[in-house]
Amino acid sequence: MEEITSFLTSYPPFDQLPPQAVARSARGMQIEYFTAGQTILEFGGAPAKFLYVVRKGGVDLLRETGSEIEIFDTLGPGEAFGYPSLIRDQAPAVTVRAHTETLAYLLPSELFHRLREENPAFHRFFAAVAFDRLGFALKVRQDRADPALFQTRLGDLVRRSLMVISPDATVREAAQLMSKEGISCLLVDLPPIGVLDHNTGIITDRDLRNRVLAAGLPADTLVREVMTAPALSLSADSLAFEGLLLMLERGIHHLPISEQGVVVGMVTNTDILRRQSRSPVFLPRQVDRATGLDELRNYTDQVAMTVSGLLDAGARVADIGRVVAVAHDALHRRLLRDIEMELGSPPAPYAWIVLGSEGRLEQTLRTDQDNALIYADDAPPGAPAYFRTLAHMMVERLVACGFPRCPGDVMATNPQWCQPLASWQAMFRRWIDVPEEEALLRSSIFFDYRQLYGDLDAEAGLRPVIARTQGNTIFLARLARAALRATPPLTFFRSVALDDERIDLKTRGTAMVVDLARLFALEAGRSETGTLSRLQASWPTASVSQPAAEGLADAFELLSLLRLRHQQHQVARGEEPTNLVVFPQLSPLERRELKESLQIIARIQRSVAMTYQTGRLG
Amino acid sequence: MPSTPPLSRGKWVSRVSVDTHLPLLTQRLRGIEAIKPGGNMVFLRNWDLFRKRERPAVLQAYEAGPWPDPRSHWRDASYVVLDVETSGLDPRHDVLLAIGLVGIEGGRIRLDTCWRTLVRPPEGFLVDASSIRIHNLTRAEVAEAPTFDAVLPSLIDHLARRILVVHVSQVDVGFLNRALRTNYGGRLAGPIIDTARLAMRIHDRAQILGEIAHEQPAPTIQLRALATSMGLPVYGEHDALNDALTTAQLFLAQAMRLDPKGNLSIKSLLRSGGV
Repeated sequence: MEEITSFLTSYPPFDQLPPQAVARSARGMQIEYFTAGQTILEFGGAPAKFLYVVRKGGVDLLRETGSEIEIFDTLGPGEAFGYPSLIRDQAPAVTVRAHTETLAYLLPSELFHRLREENPAFHRFFAAVAFDRLGFALKVRQDRADPALFQTRLGDLVRRSLMVISPDATVREAAQLMSKEGISCLLVDLPPIGVLDHNTGIITDRDLRNRVLAAGLPADTLVREVMTAPALSLSADSLAFEGLLLMLERGIHHLPISEQGVVVGMVTNTDILRRQSRSPVFLPRQVDRATGLDELRNYTDQVAMTVSGLLDAGARVADIGRVVAVAHDALHRRLLRDIEMELGSPPAPYAWIVLGSEGRLEQTLRTDQDNALIYADDAPPGAPAYFRTLAHMMVERLVACGFPRCPGDVMATNPQWCQPLASWQAMFRRWIDVPEEEALLRSSIFFDYRQLYGDLDAEAGLRPVIARTQGNTIFLARLARAALRATPPLTFFRSVALDDERIDLKTRGTAMVVDLARLFALEAGRSETGTLSRLQASWPTASVSQPAAEGLADAFELLSLLRLRHQQHQVARGEEPTNLVVFPQLSPLERRELKESLQIIARIQRSVAMTYQTGRLG
Repeated sequence: MPSTPPLSRGKWVSRVSVDTHLPLLTQRLRGIEAIKPGGNMVFLRNWDLFRKRERPAVLQAYEAGPWPDPRSHWRDASYVVLDVETSGLDPRHDVLLAIGLVGIEGGRIRLDTCWRTLVRPPEGFLVDASSIRIHNLTRAEVAEAPTFDAVLPSLIDHLARRILVVHVSQVDVGFLNRALRTNYGGRLAGPIIDTARLAMRIHDRAQILGEIAHEQPAPTIQLRALATSMGLPVYGEHDALNDALTTAQLFLAQAMRLDPKGNLSIKSLLRSGGV
């Protein structure tokens, strides 16, 4: 009997139950054996009387779509079935058939219902909707996250009382107030004092140093002349980590905290980081302090260490992506500034663009270079040569800092991707107006662009062209078909016993969500590039429902987490990070999450195929 | 039929008609092994026509059955899967030390029917030290266990009206019969299926049908190895209940293999693996 209880407790949700509840379940269980091809539950047949848990072997879940019968899931050891029918006491909605000889443990309905009543975790696990289950899985992870960063609210960090000064006071008065109170920052406001509006600003000791003393301004300069207004602020119930990210991205150290539009206090980066040693905040600072390229050589390794730390602390993948972006962006800007110093000022405004995962703020442990350069149309004749040289130097230095070259040669050193704005506009117009599937597969990463550096406003030049995708059904249908080229490897779960037990978490995982999110964003005419922000921004107008968009976002998060953790382990073992995971090496929980994520993607791919009639395209 | 080995009981058909219509006759002819439909009786042996003491009422009720109808589908019958731990392998010298059993109803193993007991050896019997290494039951443990007399009512209650399933029946059935006979002059009455015998029969059949190569050796008789070769999990070693559980799974797998069309009767199942 111990074998049965220990088997059960190694799989969810029995692992969440108290030992005596598992023992009681095991004592009341039944064991049944099914031969290959035997129908266990039948669509429309008698309601299930048991919760079935596969002990050995595997079963297929079959669904009838019109005249076709489709296997939409395959369950292996530790996985349960029969519960939707059992919970509602209704005829099964799917047919369950043993695909190999299968031994199953059967939990009688009264025991099942009792466990559901007594254990909320058990109850939730069998929630009827897979979307809910994934969301719950993510919530559990977040509940276990490092409390210092991921559970603390900014409001909890406000310690000092808030000091306010009028914008019409002098900087001397401001400095006197700061030193009297022993603080580094004042809120600047006009009545109504403390109400967050366009008058609300801040002044810091850094402002006094940099904007007053260093600029040679007199002590009777008015505060309003050197303050920062309107001030950035976050609400008191925001997570400490969000505050940290905002400070990191904007390069600020003080953040007014508000409650229902009223400032209740000030939080500094040290308030947040008191307990954090390997803080992402130090990365950009390190870039600024480096005296030369040599000091930046191991920069990507340090970013990787930070990512690893954030992953262990339970950070969300989107947040990790933002941290990495801040760190990488700081490096890019530093390198480009250095190169400009060496080459002399650029002959025309230009924009340094990153594409693909970097453009989407989704780069993680290892990122190949994907970049491009756009320069102004009225550039003088010598400009192309200048930018060619700049691009070569930049790509070399990025390689030196740990960013490998793009194997597909999507880099600014490639003359095709180093062009004046008008040529770029023409390229986008061609991709959109004459959409060829092959070309779309290659050009899709250009729709995920982000400008890192330069005075040319690339967004203003390109966005109007890209906005032509909205309502362009031919383009969207082609893009949809390209997005549906890769399908979730659901049949994979049948063949886990075969030789190839590996699954590519990128091409048959996250990339499928990226493609769908891009499609929805272009359909909705949104300019977001991040996959999660695209999903969030596009469901109100695009052909995707809110639950579907949210389910897809959860799937993306889980697949990315799985991939990141996998890569983290590889790096820790001194291996090159890859996207291939060996399915049997995943924990039962990971397997289940992987599978449910892929099922959600498959479901949404099906509805996209219907919406865009991708099957009918010539 | 003097050549019949002591524990082989020929072809069992049904006792129901006899028990219902000829109670007196059954009472007298307890050596009867099989009664063909229509009342055609066959004597197999008569070794227990004499008895040492009055058989307890539970045993008499047990013998009265009724036993499952051989024409019904095998899933419709109740089974009890049994395994024993003994002080050695010879029923004449060694004794029962533990009994484990689990029921099968409707083709499903019922873990809620699991039953396990130790049995106190007769007064003065010393459990051989070498056997303790196998079954892990110490002399002190079994010395405190209930006697066979005390265990009998529960044991019989579990066996009553059910088809008995055992792996390598000579040993387990031999010991039980020995205990029943020496104590009460009784013996196991119902149909018995031997999973080791079923394994051989399935192997032979597969060879005849060409499903497996002719030169492929016969399956192992060892319970664990047999279960593992069929892809079944095995439960803790040398414990009567765990072995009964492993045997029960083996039996289900075998019965399902013999029943591809879903029409396997108890009679056919007994033809393949009956004792």
